[in-house]
Amino acid sequence: MTPRLRRPSTLLFLVSLLLTACAPARSGSPSATTLPSVSVAPRVPAHSIYPLTLSDDAGRQVTISSAPTRIVSLAPSNTEIACALDACDDLVGVTDFDDYPAEVADVTDVVIGAVVDVEKVVAADPQLILAAGNELTPTTVIDQLTDLGYPVLALYPHDLEGVYNDISLVGGAIDARGAAEELVTSLQARAEAVATAVAGADQPRTFYEVGVFEGSIYTAGKDSFLASLLSLAGGEPIVGDAASTAIQLEDLISADPELILLGDASYDPTITVESIAARSGWADMSAVRDGHIVVVLEDLVITRPGPRIVDGLEALARSIHPERFP
Amino acid sequence: MRATASAPATTRPIFIGPSLTRVTVVLGGGAILLLSAMVVAVAIGSVGVGLGDTVAILGHRLFGLPMGITVAPGAESIIFDVRLPRVLTAMLVGGGLAVAGTVFQALLRNPMADPYIIGTAAGASLGAIAGLMAPILLPALAIGVGSTWLGLGLVQVLAFGGGLATVLLVYAVSRANGRVPVVTLLLTGYAVSSVLAAGVALLMFFSGQHLGAIFGWLMGSLAAAKWINLAFAAPLLVISATLLVFRWRGLNLLLLGDGPAAHLGMDVEREKIVLTMLATLATSTVVAISGTIGFVGLVVPHVLRLAIGPDHRLLLPASVLYGAILLALADLGARLAGGIPVGIVTALIGAPFFIWLLRRSRMVRVVVTA
Amino acid sequence: MTAAVATEELAAVEGVAFGYRLSDGNHRDVLRSVNLTLGRGDLVALVGTNGSGKTTLLRLLTGILQPDAGAVRFDGRPVAEWRRPELARRVAVLPQQLDLPVGFRVAELVEMGRAPHARRLFASTEADARAVSRALADAGALELADRYAEELSGGERQRLLVAMALAQEPDLLLLDEPTVHLDLAHQVALLAAIQHLRDQRGLTVLAVLHDLNLAAAFAPRVAILDDGRIVADGPPGDVLTPDVVQRVFGVAVDEARTADGRRHLALHEV
Repeated sequence: MTPRLRRPSTLLFLVSLLLTACAPARSGSPSATTLPSVSVAPRVPAHSIYPLTLSDDAGRQVTISSAPTRIVSLAPSNTEIACALDACDDLVGVTDFDDYPAEVADVTDVVIGAVVDVEKVVAADPQLILAAGNELTPTTVIDQLTDLGYPVLALYPHDLEGVYNDISLVGGAIDARGAAEELVTSLQARAEAVATAVAGADQPRTFYEVGVFEGSIYTAGKDSFLASLLSLAGGEPIVGDAASTAIQLEDLISADPELILLGDASYDPTITVESIAARSGWADMSAVRDGHIVVVLEDLVITRPGPRIVDGLEALARSIHPERFP
Repeated sequence: MRATASAPATTRPIFIGPSLTRVTVVLGGGAILLLSAMVVAVAIGSVGVGLGDTVAILGHRLFGLPMGITVAPGAESIIFDVRLPRVLTAMLVGGGLAVAGTVFQALLRNPMADPYIIGTAAGASLGAIAGLMAPILLPALAIGVGSTWLGLGLVQVLAFGGGLATVLLVYAVSRANGRVPVVTLLLTGYAVSSVLAAGVALLMFFSGQHLGAIFGWLMGSLAAAKWINLAFAAPLLVISATLLVFRWRGLNLLLLGDGPAAHLGMDVEREKIVLTMLATLATSTVVAISGTIGFVGLVVPHVLRLAIGPDHRLLLPASVLYGAILLALADLGARLAGGIPVGIVTALIGAPFFIWLLRRSRMVRVVVTA
Repeated sequence: MTAAVATEELAAVEGVAFGYRLSDGNHRDVLRSVNLTLGRGDLVALVGTNGSGKTTLLRLLTGILQPDAGAVRFDGRPVAEWRRPELARRVAVLPQQLDLPVGFRVAELVEMGRAPHARRLFASTEADARAVSRALADAGALELADRYAEELSGGERQRLLVAMALAQEPDLLLLDEPTVHLDLAHQVALLAAIQHLRDQRGLTVLAVLHDLNLAAAFAPRVAILDDGRIVADGPPGDVLTPDVVQRVFGVAVDEARTADGRRHLALHEV
């Protein structure tokens, strides 16, 4: 077709579009258009999911009025979820504790020393705030931000399922459901693989040392996320008090761990296999006598309930059943 | 003191007490300082907002003046929704604590008295912590997150009620033969506070993830300041502080002792009840919206007494003004130091200053026996 | 010393009884049936053993305590019917000792005595100022006006207390063992001042004293309180006899005369 021939039809197309766009909404009257009707699809925007209302992990109903392009994250795990859903560029506020992925180092810190600086959050002008539940972001702060008019999603997963749900939740909030589904599916597959790999193996009584401080021993709490990961990784977790995550030394001795995982070795170079054996009262534990003490350097991903949690699960499984992961 | 020896028999009002100059300097100066402190505290924060912008925003939102200039996005919200309620809360809380502390020190004739001494803090703390933990303690009540009563949170309501109820209890227990001896009141307050504090400790032990929130409340903080809390607290504080300011004479007389005060025509027991209740009302209101901020109620009256004298005619209004200034500036410091609890700032800065002042002046006794 | 003249009654107690319950449940009677009348311008010394109820009687007169039985009147009306500030404008008490608040100047403390007369919310009136200065002058404390209370000596504090009582501009002045903490010179000075004030201002004075000789020298009328009753009431010469002293106080004394004929009581050798 020659350009000259095309021009009149293009012009006609454009004019009819213009007239259709300018026509009143209920164009039932015959005087609406004077041009012959051209059957072209009217230019109406695709169906939007916003405004949408979600229920967060604290049970609050949160309404997001339009697609958030400015996101503030108040916890490292939330930052990782957002980045895994390809929304890293939308982050306008993170915590000073965030360290993954590397590009978040350039984003403004709105949480410093675990204290949420509300002024900085407001200055960042977010359209969505991802907070941490269970008082990790204090409820008073969440209330304050909600009162200021921001949609705040509080995320607090108790187990792997919870992480998958949070990923889906965030994906739904930022209109990235597809990416979320993909991510969840791949994480589930890897977790399945771990379960398969350790299936049938003997489950050693496993003690995961979170920290020892001034005579108090901290480990996985009863029914905690960490305990569930230890089980999935093929161990029988020795657990502490659900609220304080502390365990008395005598309870630990009577539980007699067969395997000790030194999670605090990730942060403290003085925590070594030898240093455990030197502790008074610990020498008679099976794990110590048999030398089944493993230094764990991946505590960060084991305890951060974000997309890398499955990395942590894999690390735990390798520590508990090295023979199954050649 | 200038007393006139011979004068016509008129009843033109004159001040035998502090001179008019003194009053103007102390109170007028205080008012100006307060206003300046307010503007400064609202203008400064972790996010920079220029002074010009601050004044423009305040003028616009408070007095309806046209903005005239464009400000950075979020600046208006920061100034008006985040900082202004917080600074106003700090001023109300500081003024309330200081005036309550002044009243209790005179009422109990004890320089160690603070607004919490007869049980307000312990009762309010127990109430607040019960409110913080209600969702887990009593799930059957189905108290949802963020439930409110007239806009106030459960924590505020229970803290306010707990403080008032405790003082009423202490008062009732201390009463014997229609009298409430001051020493009995002090000791009963201490005993009841101890019991309630044990309750608080017990709740803290079982608090799990709420421990941080509880600790934050006990340290006292102005971070959660909001307009609705101000709407509740401001009228109560203004009324109780005003009524207390007018009762200066009774407080002066009470310093002489119950007997002499009665001989000077005062209905001692009634006055004590009224003063206790007004001061407790102010204290409970303050604690409900900001937790138990220490130091201000104890030290501001002493510093002022050393500076302007113990006559309550001037001391009471001065304590309101200067307590407000102190806490507004202390809160500014707390914000700039990374959001630490304001009670830490008041103690860290106020204590050394107080010690310095003590070393320069007379002892801090309230009374000396003739 | 002016002799007591029968005058109109200013204050009186009639058949007054007062007691209180002890911690072990028993009832202790302090006053059983006390009759005492104070006429306008009277100057009466009230003496008695420790615990005889002298201070209680003063408290009944000011309405701080209510009697179990009997009547207490001031200016013709039962004390219970008086409103507290009203009564405080007419009756002042000079206590043994007083907690003085630190940091107040003498003039400010004396001004507290104006409380029953207070008319305005924050200011004081000219009348208050004049009353304060007059009280200071009469108490011999004018030069102390700007001093701080805690810096005063014992005698100076005494004068302050007198000024505070006088600032109330009372008709009746009750003194509750005001000489207990004073040395002899100050005791005499105080009582002389009281006498002088009584003449000058027309006060009626009831002074609880423990020193019998002082009472005799100071007051034209002495009342003795013993076992809850007034057992003697009259001129000191008639009332303070060795018999009475032996019976009430359990101490043997002799009546003696000075060179110029004044009586006093002399203790036997201890």
